[in-house]
Amino acid sequence: MPLFEKVEYRPVPVRDLLLEMKNLSELMIDLAYSAALFNDRELAEEVLELEKQVDNLAYLLHIMNMIAARDARDAESLVGVSIVASAADKISDAAADIAAIVTRNIGVHSLVSEIFERVEKRLIRAKVPEKSIIVGKTIGELNLPPRMGIDILAILRGKNWIINPKEDEKIHAGDILIARGAPEGLKEFKEICEGIRGKMED
Amino acid sequence: MTRNTEVDFDVMVEKLAELKDTSELMIDLAYSALLLNSKELAEEVQRLEEHVDELHTEFELLVLSSGFRKEEAKGLLGLIRLGVAAEKISDAAAQIAEVVLRGIEPHQVLKLTIEEAEETIVYTTVTGESALVGKTLREARIPEETGMWILAIKRNGKCIRPRSDSRIQAGDIIIASGYAEGADDLRELASPSSKDLE
Repeated sequence: MPLFEKVEYRPVPVRDLLLEMKNLSELMIDLAYSAALFNDRELAEEVLELEKQVDNLAYLLHIMNMIAARDARDAESLVGVSIVASAADKISDAAADIAAIVTRNIGVHSLVSEIFERVEKRLIRAKVPEKSIIVGKTIGELNLPPRMGIDILAILRGKNWIINPKEDEKIHAGDILIARGAPEGLKEFKEICEGIRGKMED
Repeated sequence: MTRNTEVDFDVMVEKLAELKDTSELMIDLAYSALLLNSKELAEEVQRLEEHVDELHTEFELLVLSSGFRKEEAKGLLGLIRLGVAAEKISDAAAQIAEVVLRGIEPHQVLKLTIEEAEETIVYTTVTGESALVGKTLREARIPEETGMWILAIKRNGKCIRPRSDSRIQAGDIIIASGYAEGADDLRELASPSSKDLE
């Protein structure tokens, strides 16, 4: 039996809760597919953890929503917020289902890598050697989204995953990065990560 | 049972790739529908949901009839479950779109959330001065230039789904998703110096 955290009222704005649910649920899809694609058990377990967080956020959001409704009109307007939050929760459940393929040792057929060559939003995994020019740089300094249309989803450092790393997170030698985005940007970034390319263009 | 040709596997890959892409596109379209309170976009999401259901069935039938070997069963089960997850994601998108179709004016909180999220949605009008006017989407290279994916184009009040040979006209409203950083680049591209006016 899984352990469930007790749900208690905490005053958190609905907007903050929904924002976190939306961000996490979409991040989780990419993380879960990465876990399946690279057959990474630890990453899959991270996704399952995130799913619990989203569940808790959903409970809290519904509580806040109930308190916010003063009359029938409020309730009519707020029900949409609850439905959208439930949908974000469902998306995170779907991501957890994908992660469970890995944690339950079912695994995916090797065809999966061919599938990922044909989808629009790609995922890569790259190891950063010491010679790479990104060692010591922060995520903020790399400024990847506008430069290459890509984003770093997670960093594996030693045995720990850093999920959705913040702007001030520095890249270390030996890090393994998972990035998502446009194919051309990813190709360039992989070469930069792995030290094949020594310069970042704007 | 003899094993079917490799072609079946190719179609299988094609279908699952389309399932994945469509389900994720649908989330963006559904949030766009909320942001713009657009019944048309919401209906498009509903149509895509039906398409995904069909695609999903076709994919599962292909897997089941592929004449796989016993040792492949587990791996193929993994693929089937990926398909189920994509279908669930598309259901969630349809659920979001349904809010619009129920005639609920999306609450302010929803609009603010979509605008502030890491993967945001923008809509911007293409002005006469824009370098995009007259170009096809392929020529415009918007994803390469801005990192933004074009979700839909609204023209004369109608939303059309973009194709690489769709030509951009002045007055079009481009609806796109991507990281917040690319949103400004797209606005600048579509309506040069519109930022000064805002």
